[in-house]
Amino acid sequence: MDNLLTIAVLLPLAAAFLAFAFPSDKPKAIRALAIFATGVSLLLTLYIFSQFDRTKSGYQFVRGIEWLPSYGCSLKFGVDGISMTLLLLVGFVSFAGTLISSEIHEREKEYYILFLALTTGISGTFATLDLFFFYFFYELAVIPMYLLIGVWGSLPPGKHGRTKEYATMKLTLYLTAGAVLALIGLLTMYYAGGRTMDIPTLTKNLRLDANTQQWVFPCLMFGFGFLASMWPFHTWSPLGYAAAPTAASMMHAGVLKKLGAYGIIRLALPLLPEGARHWANLIAILACFNILYAGWSALTQKDWKFVIGYSSVSHMGYVLLGIATLNVIGVTGAVLLMFAHGLMAALTFSLIGFFYHQTHNRYVLELSGLARKIPYIGTCMVMAVMASCGLPGFANFVSEVMVFIGAWHQGSTVFRVATICAVWGIVVTATYLLWAVRTSFFGPFDEKWSMLKDATTFWRKFPYALLLAVLLTVGFWPRLLTDIIRKSVQTSITANYADGADTAKQTKVRP
Amino acid sequence: MNSLDATQPFYAIQLECLLAGWGIVILLVDAFSPVPNKRTLGYMAAGFVVVALLYSFILRPLDGTFFHGMYRFDAFALYFKRLFLLALAGVLVMAAEFSPRIESGHAGGAAGVAEFYALLMFCATGMLLIASVNDFILLFVSLELVTITFYVLASYLRRQVSSLEAGTKYLILGALSSGFTVYGIAYIFGTTGTTNFTTLNAQLATLNAPPSTAFTFGMLLVLTGLGFKIASVPFQIWVPDVYQGAPTPVTAFLAVGSKAAGFALLLRVLFAGLLPVQGSWSALLLVLASATLLYGNLGAIPQRNIKRLLGYSSIGHAGYMLMGVAAVNALGAGAVLFYLGQYAFTTLCAFLAIVAVTNATGSDEIPSFSGLGKRSPILGLALFLAMMSLAGVPPLSGFFGKFQLFAAVIERAQTDWHYYVLAGIGAAAVVISLYFYLGVAKAMYIQEAEDPANAGPIPVTKPMRAALYVCMVAIIGLGIFQRPLVESAAKAAKIFQLN
Repeated sequence: MDNLLTIAVLLPLAAAFLAFAFPSDKPKAIRALAIFATGVSLLLTLYIFSQFDRTKSGYQFVRGIEWLPSYGCSLKFGVDGISMTLLLLVGFVSFAGTLISSEIHEREKEYYILFLALTTGISGTFATLDLFFFYFFYELAVIPMYLLIGVWGSLPPGKHGRTKEYATMKLTLYLTAGAVLALIGLLTMYYAGGRTMDIPTLTKNLRLDANTQQWVFPCLMFGFGFLASMWPFHTWSPLGYAAAPTAASMMHAGVLKKLGAYGIIRLALPLLPEGARHWANLIAILACFNILYAGWSALTQKDWKFVIGYSSVSHMGYVLLGIATLNVIGVTGAVLLMFAHGLMAALTFSLIGFFYHQTHNRYVLELSGLARKIPYIGTCMVMAVMASCGLPGFANFVSEVMVFIGAWHQGSTVFRVATICAVWGIVVTATYLLWAVRTSFFGPFDEKWSMLKDATTFWRKFPYALLLAVLLTVGFWPRLLTDIIRKSVQTSITANYADGADTAKQTKVRP
Repeated sequence: MNSLDATQPFYAIQLECLLAGWGIVILLVDAFSPVPNKRTLGYMAAGFVVVALLYSFILRPLDGTFFHGMYRFDAFALYFKRLFLLALAGVLVMAAEFSPRIESGHAGGAAGVAEFYALLMFCATGMLLIASVNDFILLFVSLELVTITFYVLASYLRRQVSSLEAGTKYLILGALSSGFTVYGIAYIFGTTGTTNFTTLNAQLATLNAPPSTAFTFGMLLVLTGLGFKIASVPFQIWVPDVYQGAPTPVTAFLAVGSKAAGFALLLRVLFAGLLPVQGSWSALLLVLASATLLYGNLGAIPQRNIKRLLGYSSIGHAGYMLMGVAAVNALGAGAVLFYLGQYAFTTLCAFLAIVAVTNATGSDEIPSFSGLGKRSPILGLALFLAMMSLAGVPPLSGFFGKFQLFAAVIERAQTDWHYYVLAGIGAAAVVISLYFYLGVAKAMYIQEAEDPANAGPIPVTKPMRAALYVCMVAIIGLGIFQRPLVESAAKAAKIFQLN
């Protein structure tokens, strides 16, 4: 029973190894294997969620085996409210991504192997309780993306003047640079924490003086921040998404990016409280740049994927702002927003992939009236855009409001100004998204697109419906997740901060 | 000294005897009853080495020294002997695949092939001796056995100017560095009156003041010679040309065997002999490691020839391993040993695939690898895994190798912040190296074959396939199940009194 979590995490990787043995001229079998692996993994995650004890705050389903005793390292998995939420996200997005990958018709074997390895890399990072394996899975998630984009991606020419090879190389180098920077900080913590890789033990033992914390923290903050597309290290992100094949953009924008923010929440905040306090203002300021600068950039984009790419950089700004508040409601909002934005970004990219696969064109201005021909996709797109704009009823609304309340409640001038900027950012988001959806999906129908076919069969409709359903469920019943997130945030993170106690009382303002 | 027990010295030196003997057998067999198919001869040679490698796992390390204190058969020696046998086996398979080109490139024709195998084995005998060195005299003798064989091997394709050039370059710079080494040994002997590491260590430990200038000078000269072997900056100039020009199996042996031999000596000399005076060399290593990391990895960026690229990359990897040496702690020494072990599999895997491809295409320029993923999935995968392991990507062995080296450096950095600078440079090097390793991956998987008419499947022989599978399984296996090799490396590193 306790092994279920381990199975849920490692199953896709096992399937990837198994797929090596499959002949490459049997793509259907390999695809079935991939759907099976991600599907079972999702079901197991849902089962674990249903068994998750909502009254406890610590790690649950902890199971580990000793791996490298000389390093104090063990292959250990366990979840608390934060990682449980994000594991669910991986489950939904990876399953939907596999289903949508039916558009891939070239070298399917390699494609699914890489996709499955990517999935385990991400869910492993969320679920592991060991510093070494955290880094191991983190890096494992970064590299398959290079080939996924390089081989199966496509980047239409544009003002950016780049090729997909450039885009994928840039993405890989940025993320690796972040990872090695974080590694230096992580190893310093490993030695200061008494040579153990076990994250819970490390959290108890680590005693770093304030000065050291102040320089170790930026190693982690920027190191993980690269992946969270923190301004000004975000430039790899829209370009990478634009060049990636649909499922890869879904995984990357939906979940991989969240690894960066998760790294900060899981390791930097609880282990380096002094450092976090010292750098919180800078994070908040950078987050504002994320929100407004990326939003501004999205306004000028003509390519659907670039619009959504910049929009996702902009949304990560809210997540970072929530993290910077260092109070319960803000960090809880950030985690919930990671979940909501992950589903929303995956949904939008999959919808773009759907029509791009047929039109081979994704310039907003050249598409027109698509909703007439593909009403199902059009409806989903409108809902995704509404979610992205933060309309009540979607999980995004709840989480963004929590971030704003947390940031305002933080009280300092910097955060007050940041909150105003962030709220203003929603207007910017609405401007470009509504413009894009109005131009492409409504207005006069262009005969050029009369060959478009809508999603008609159940299996074609299902992935989009799944993602939307989860967004709406959590939107209407946020306590499903906020309850468990808040408990974990309270004990593992904000308990370290002196003002953590009194902010905990303020949780009544929860929407 | 109980080491004078009549049976033990032979126990300690049996692997060297076996290997040299087998080399002579190969020569004689071919001289008296020439084997028509030189490939078979090569596979036979390789098969024997694999048997010797398996046999070496029965052997147990012995305490004490042999041959008047010159020779050790400890865990460290045994670890390296196994490593060299492994490298030799891989290189022999490669040489067998390469034999048609030797026949056409060597003036001796078919007779040259057997000599080529035998020379590789003699060279490896020298390396096995190096693993056990406990005295500067034996150090010099075994080093020369290796280096002089390499002069011949590097210029083996006598009809090719590039091979001759490689041999000449290696000869001139190698001879120069040997000269430095022997000169340095003379200084060390002159100031201390001993060439034995154990005695030297004991003598230096009683020293209260910093060592004399003459001694330091001698030490630096010895390090020069070793720096040449491991290809560290500033003694790395020969590497790209020799790697590119030499016959590919020789290049592989230089990368795997010769480099490991250099590190075996470096660790012995520094940690067994000169540890008490570490204050006078650890800062130097810090600087050399940083410079080597940057030179190797930056220099590799513009390369278009894969052997030349791997030449620069091998300089870079010398830099990574020097990080572990510079850390001067037990973790670092173990990390270097682990790194060399996994590096052997990774590099062999890369060169095996390169030999197979160049046999078919006749070119080792990177563009000629375009579309390899489609032309031969196994060669493409092998080269891809090798490149990613060199770049340090999980779940491959190179990732854990680098992780350990960084762990060792950061451990040292807890007491001396300068080491954070080294770790930072190492981190930058990792990112830079990813760029050019991915460049090879890009050619193989993303780009289409240059000449579609000439892009048929590439044949892979059975022994080659077997060797590739062994390497690939090792690359992935050591990346995930690191424990056995980590523990045996740590055990081998325990012979040094490091904390």
